[in-house]
This record gives sequence, structure tokens and C-alpha cells, in this order.
Amino acid sequence: MSLLEVTGLTVKHGGLVALDDVSLTAEAGSIVGLIGPNGAGKTTFIDTLTGFTPALRGRVSFAGTDITGAAPHARSRAGLVRTFQSLELFDDLSVRDNLLVAAHTPTLWSTLTDALWPKAHDTSETQSVLELLDLVDVADRRPTELSNGQRHVVALGRALVSSPQLVLLDEPAAGLDPAETETLAALLRRLPATGTTVLVVDHDMALILGVCEVVHVLDFGRLVASGTPVEVRNDPTVIAAYLGTGAS
Amino acid sequence: MDRRRPDRHGLLSTYLGYLFAGLGGGAVVASLALGLVLTHRSSGVVNFAHAAMGMYVAFAFFEFRETGDLVLPILGLPGRVHLLARPVLASALVFAIVLAIVVGLVVYLLVFRPLRQAPALARVVASLGLLLYIQEIVRLRFPVSGASVVTHRPVLGDAPVALFGTTVTENRLILAGLVVLVAALLGAVFWFTRFGLATRAAAGNEKGALLLGISPDRLASVCWAAASVLAGVAVILIEPIAGLNPTTTTLLVIPALAAALLGGLESFAVTTAAGLAIGMVQSLILGWSVRPDTRWIPDWLPTTGLQQVVPVIVIIGVLVWRGDALPDRAAVAGRRLPPSPEPRHVTAWTVALIGAATVGLLTFGSGYRHALIVSMVFALLTLSVVVLTGFSGQISLAQLAFAGVAGFASIRLAEHHVPFPIALVAASLLATVIGVLVGYPATRVRGMSLAIATLAMAVAIEELVLASPSFSHGHEGSSAPRPFLFGADVGIGATGSGNFRAAFGFVCLGVLALAALGVTNLRRNRTGLRWLAVRANERAAAAAGIDVTRAKLGAFAVSSFLAGLCGVLMAYSVTTLSPTSFLVIGSLVAVALTYLAGVSSVGGALVAGALAQAGIYTAFMNDLTGGDANTYVFAVSGLALIMTAITAPEGITGLVRSAAARLGRGTPTPPPSSTPPGSGEAVVA
Repeated sequence: MSLLEVTGLTVKHGGLVALDDVSLTAEAGSIVGLIGPNGAGKTTFIDTLTGFTPALRGRVSFAGTDITGAAPHARSRAGLVRTFQSLELFDDLSVRDNLLVAAHTPTLWSTLTDALWPKAHDTSETQSVLELLDLVDVADRRPTELSNGQRHVVALGRALVSSPQLVLLDEPAAGLDPAETETLAALLRRLPATGTTVLVVDHDMALILGVCEVVHVLDFGRLVASGTPVEVRNDPTVIAAYLGTGAS
Repeated sequence: MDRRRPDRHGLLSTYLGYLFAGLGGGAVVASLALGLVLTHRSSGVVNFAHAAMGMYVAFAFFEFRETGDLVLPILGLPGRVHLLARPVLASALVFAIVLAIVVGLVVYLLVFRPLRQAPALARVVASLGLLLYIQEIVRLRFPVSGASVVTHRPVLGDAPVALFGTTVTENRLILAGLVVLVAALLGAVFWFTRFGLATRAAAGNEKGALLLGISPDRLASVCWAAASVLAGVAVILIEPIAGLNPTTTTLLVIPALAAALLGGLESFAVTTAAGLAIGMVQSLILGWSVRPDTRWIPDWLPTTGLQQVVPVIVIIGVLVWRGDALPDRAAVAGRRLPPSPEPRHVTAWTVALIGAATVGLLTFGSGYRHALIVSMVFALLTLSVVVLTGFSGQISLAQLAFAGVAGFASIRLAEHHVPFPIALVAASLLATVIGVLVGYPATRVRGMSLAIATLAMAVAIEELVLASPSFSHGHEGSSAPRPFLFGADVGIGATGSGNFRAAFGFVCLGVLALAALGVTNLRRNRTGLRWLAVRANERAAAAAGIDVTRAKLGAFAVSSFLAGLCGVLMAYSVTTLSPTSFLVIGSLVAVALTYLAGVSSVGGALVAGALAQAGIYTAFMNDLTGGDANTYVFAVSGLALIMTAITAPEGITGLVRSAAARLGRGTPTPPPSSTPPGSGEAVVA
């Protein structure tokens, strides 16, 4: 059984078919890439997997459970966590609080105790992620005061702080310089060893082909190719999708 | 059988008569709703003060008709200017239309144009400020002995006209005809002219209108002027039927909002039909419920309040049906609420404030002691606004209604010999339940729509629950028995004297201190972080595993519990508690003062408490000015609210904090313009 099993996923935005009968799996402990031209449906795929966009047809199974109709927060708590292309950081909160707020699952009881005790944070996970991502120095700053590269790292940290089983990264390298992208790649390679499987969407071919074991290619909402980075790079359908049909 | 048949026929025509009688009210609702649609389409604003603007124009019209004076609505300027010796109907109508145009333009250019890019809440707050200001300035400038003016010189005649076996007055028919005509005219203008095309383009995209060569500002100005004229004329014409009253006329905006929402804030035709229908159904319910042979209404339900249910059902239905649990990808937040600073030096502040209040309670004379008690009780209400709006980004215009429910509930409990502290908590828990119910739409709608929904429900609670004879004893009000705490008498009044006792003040201080510390702790803990995360970005919050629905309802629960505490203490601080202590306008004042003082910190709530009417600030100002401060407090706070929304969204405490941060850093220069306002203290940290 795979960690993530997507079967026949179909999504429509109005009359437009955004995803057309997409099926794929992700094995626990792997790094999976998803590429495709602009408008191919990559972000819609992540939106649908995480419950932000409803699926018209199809089934999403995560860690052996059917989560097709579950709410976004429920999927996140179950260990299926995402980042956003536009980062969507909590600009009113410090970097540390951005992570802290994602690290815990609240209970009714914790709301009562929160009112009674001055400060009851358990910050150990938060602190270790801040250290892992080299964010300790900026932990008390607000995201708006950071560089674009650092903001990307905070977004990644917020996704990782709850130790998810699967993290879906939506263009984590967008706007990063080559050195920052290299640091990101090194970090992604380390994640499977910590128990986090990675599905990454990006335009940066060097990053995708460099870190992923399996790459899927979307075009106009359809899955047109799957395979190892080498297979995908030489696939005529993929070349056509990226360069236009006349090029092959 | 033979005797019943004509009877049934008579009943039918009676009900038909009620429906036709509602044509007048319906026409006004429709006309106001058309104005709301106009301003929304041209500038994206839902103006809560819309009916209030029309009300001012109508008051000014009738005054001009009588005296030839223009009554100026501006604080600090002379009250009136004499224009004409002998005004006639025609000159008075021209006067009213010109005045309405000026009012519309001034309101748009001075208040809403500067707020084009502001967050929805800032615009809600500004329009509430405007509402407060207009309502108060009308009270100050048009002192009428009774509640309503009924003129002896109506514009339209009220000769009866026979229709379908019943009769209806001609003014109602003319009003309904006029509003349909106006709607058709507006529809034609918007469909067939370049002006309409440009306005539609401007609502979608300001640049689009610019490309058509038309200034979106000019478009919006024209629409605001037209909307203001529509409102003014409608209120003038309905006056012989519905009367004219600063409170009830202002609240006509609620059924108008219901009609405008049914039209999607866009369709003139649907809006007009909905407005007429709402007015007619309200009239039918009113007529039906006051008939002596109507026995299905239980005694505890105030019959006159039933008609308020109609707009509430419509508003909630439309909003929840159209709403979404999470905003979509395209929804851009725009400018945000002021940042909520991490509480600092909590112990020092707690000791200092409790110490100061203790000294005050023990040393002040009776007058200032009472003012301090009023401020402390009101601070519980403003604290409830901080939790809901400042921390979790939701808005409720029903906070004082929750307080009212708890206040009367505590009296009823005390009558059943429930001890004071238990009644305090139990009644506040009842307010919590009501608060969560009222807050439920917040899980589907946000910003402006939520403000509309809670305002409508506040009016429904006021008219149905708080006015209920068996719950509050109606106009007579209820008196709380003397409260005892562990055997000690903690009542506010010494028996047989007007002296206010410190013992009750210490109870209020204790409750406020616990509440403020509790809220401070929530802010510092994960609950507060989750609220702030929801406030900042609902999608990201959901992605981070936060149950957004539960977080919002939790904020409503805590907030309405605090409002409930305020209501119970209010009940025990007056000799007789009347439903008029909990009018909707009071909720608006609470939101207004809290926003003004600083909506996102506990300190802001305490400052807002100090600013309360009859609180320490007004007591102090009364001493300085010789008694005028209470008169102007609403009008001034309305103005201050508009100014705050436009210039200083962080409020007084925010201004003080950034000044302190600058001093602490030893540099007099403001933070660089690239960082948002309020990031000063983060730099210091």
C-alpha cells in the first residue's frame, strides 16, 4: 500500500477541466516531482489533495484512509501538509509563532488552560525546526521584515513543524537564487530520513530532476508521463508539452 | 355556513389590506436598498449610515419647510442658517435635493474615498462612525419633545383608493409607483449609457474605467449623490406613514440591506421587488400579530417585534447560502487589521492598575466612584470586542444584545434565589450560547456581510427577547435583588441614599481583572495564536491544521461570555434595568470606542472603558466643561471613529506604543517606510 493513492481525480473550474482523470501514487519515504507548463493543473492538484478545491470525481487515499471529502484542517492534522505558491505566511505573527501555531492540535481543554496559565507553550518541535532551517536569528521578527528567500524557508518550516507524513510543496524554489535553491535541494533530500515523504511542484528543472526519484508530468490537466528523471527528460510527449508539438 | 362565507371574504380583504398598507414601507425599503446598490456598485462600500443620511435630509427638509432655516450638521459650526423667509413646497423640495446631493458628495469624498484600499473592517467602522455621528447630531440639532415628528403638511395626499375589494391610501400607491420608476430608470442608465458601462467597469477594475476615459471618482461621486437623494426623498415621503425618528429611521437600513443582498448588491430589479415584498410581508405580520383574534402568538413574544424576523431570515439565508467556508484563492485581504502586540510587563501592569483602581474606589467621591464603576463594567464589553475583532478578525454588532440577555437572565435567576456569583456565571453562559448561535454565520461569511448579519440579529434579539414582557418586564424593566458575596452585601446603592458603594466597585474590579488576565493569557497562548492566524489568513490557517470554524466560534463564545459578564454587572449597578439600556446603538458605540482606543490589545479595551459614556473620561470632561461632555460623547466618538479608521488604524494605544518604541530606541525618526506601521516594537525586541 502506498502512502498516497490518487485514483481518477477529476476537477472542473466552471466549464474548464482543470484535472482530467489523474491517477498517481507516492510511496512512503520517496521524493516525487510534479511538473508541467503553466496552467497544467499543478496547483489545482495540490488544492484538491489538501481539500481546498472539491473534486468532481475520483478518490484520494492517504495512509490507508479515504480522505476524499475531509476538511483541509483534518487532512493537515492527519499528516498531509502543504505550502502555498504565494507562501501565505501569517504576517501579524513572528516567525516563531508562525511555526508554533502549526505545531499543535487544540482541544477544548487547552482553550480553558490557555486562559488560566500565563504561558504554556511546548516549544521543543518549534525550536528544533528553527535550528534545522537556520531561522533562530530571525525567530522574533515578522515575515514582512525578511528577504524573499527567508520567507520561503519560513513557509517550509511551518509545513514541517508538525512532522507530517507527506508534505506537498508548491513551487518552493520560485524566486530563489541558485545558491538558495541548492540549500533547499539538500534539505529536501534529508526529509525522507525524518519520516516525511515529499511531493514537489516546481518549474526549476535542475531542482526537480536533481532531487526526485519519480517525476510526473501534467499537461492540460492530464497526466502525460511518469518515470525517473532521465526517462521523463527524454520522453517525446514531455518535450512536446513544453516546447509545442512542432518541436519534436 | 351562510354566515361564515362573507366573514372569510372579509378576512381575506383585511389581509390584502395589510399587504397593500405595506407598499409604503416597502417602497422606502426598496428606495434605500437601491441607494445601497448604487454606492456598492460604484465604490464597493456597504454604507450602514445610508438611512441615517436620508433621515438627516428629511429632518432638514421639514425644518426648512417650517422655518426657512438650514440646519447645519457640523459640530462646532452654528446650528442653523436662515435662508428663506417663506418657503413653499417646491422650494423646500429643491432645498432637500440639493442638500442630499451635498451630503452624498461630502460623505463619499471625505469618508469613503480615502478608504478605497482599506480593509473591509475599516470601512464598516467608518460607516458606523458616520451613523453614530448623524444620529447624534440630529438629536442635538432637532430637539423634539416626543420620539417622532409627524408633520401636518405631508407632501403626498392620503386619500383612500379602492383596490381589489379593499382600500389603500394614494400616497402608498404613488410611493410604490415612484420607486419602480426609479429602478427602471437606473436600470436603463446602467444598461444603455456609457456612464453605466464605465460604472460597471469601475466596480470590477478601476483601471478598466480609466481606460474608458472616465474617472472612477467622478462616477462614484455621481452615484453617492444619487443614492443620497433617493434616501432623502424616500424618508421625506414616508414620514406621514412611518414617522421620523433618529433611532427607528436609522435602522431602516437593515431591511434595506436584506433587499439589496437579495439583489446580490447588483440587480436594481430584484432589489426593488425584494424591498417592496419585505415591506409588505412586514406589514402583514404586524397587522396579523396585533389582531385581537390572533391567539397563536404566546404572551411572552412581543408582537411588534415579530416583523423584525423577516429581514433577519432573509439576510442570514442569503449570506449563508452564498457564503463559503474558506475564501477562494483570488480573495485578496488588502490592508490588514492593526498588528496585535505580544503582551508585555503583565505583572507590573496588573499590580499598577488594580492598585490605582483600589485607591480610586476608596478615595473618590460618589460621582467619580460611579464613573469608575461604569468604566470598569463597560471595559468588559470592549474586552469582548478585542477578543472577537482584534484577535480573531471577526465582527459582531450584537455585543450589547448578548449583555442584555445575560443581564435580565441574572435577575430572573436571582429571583429564584440563585446566589449572585452563580447567577453571574450562569447568565453569562447563556449569553455564550446566544453568542455562538449569532456567530454561526461567521463560519460562512466575513467582513461587511458578517457585520450586516450580526446587526440584523442584534435588532431581532432587542425586539423579540429583550422586549419580551416575561423576560424583561418590558418598559417597566426589572430590578435586581441585593447581591451578596460570601455573606457580604456587595450592592451598589446604600439603602435610601444616592451614594455609590465601593463594595460593588471591588466586585467589578475583581471580575474585570480576572477577565483581562484571562484574555491576556489567551493572547499569549496557542488559542490566541490560532485566532491571530485565522485573522491573518484563513486558508493558511486551515493548511496549518487549524479548524477555522471552531476557532471562530470559540472566539464568539469567549467574547459573548465577556459581554454577558458586562450585562450582569450592569443589571446590578442600576436600580431598574430596562431594555433601553441595550439598544443596538450601544453595540455600535462599543465597537467604535474599542477601535478608537486600539482594537487588538487588552490595553485598548481598558482605555475604551475609560472613554465610555458616563465613565471616568466623561466625568472628568464634565468637570472641565461644566456638564456638556455627556451630550456630545456619541457625536464626538462618531467623528473620532471616522478619523481613526482613515488615519490611525492602530488607535490610541497603537500611537502611544509606537511613540514609546521610538523613544526607547532613542531615535526620533519613524521606522522606515518599507516596514508596516506598528512593527516598531518588533524591532526593539
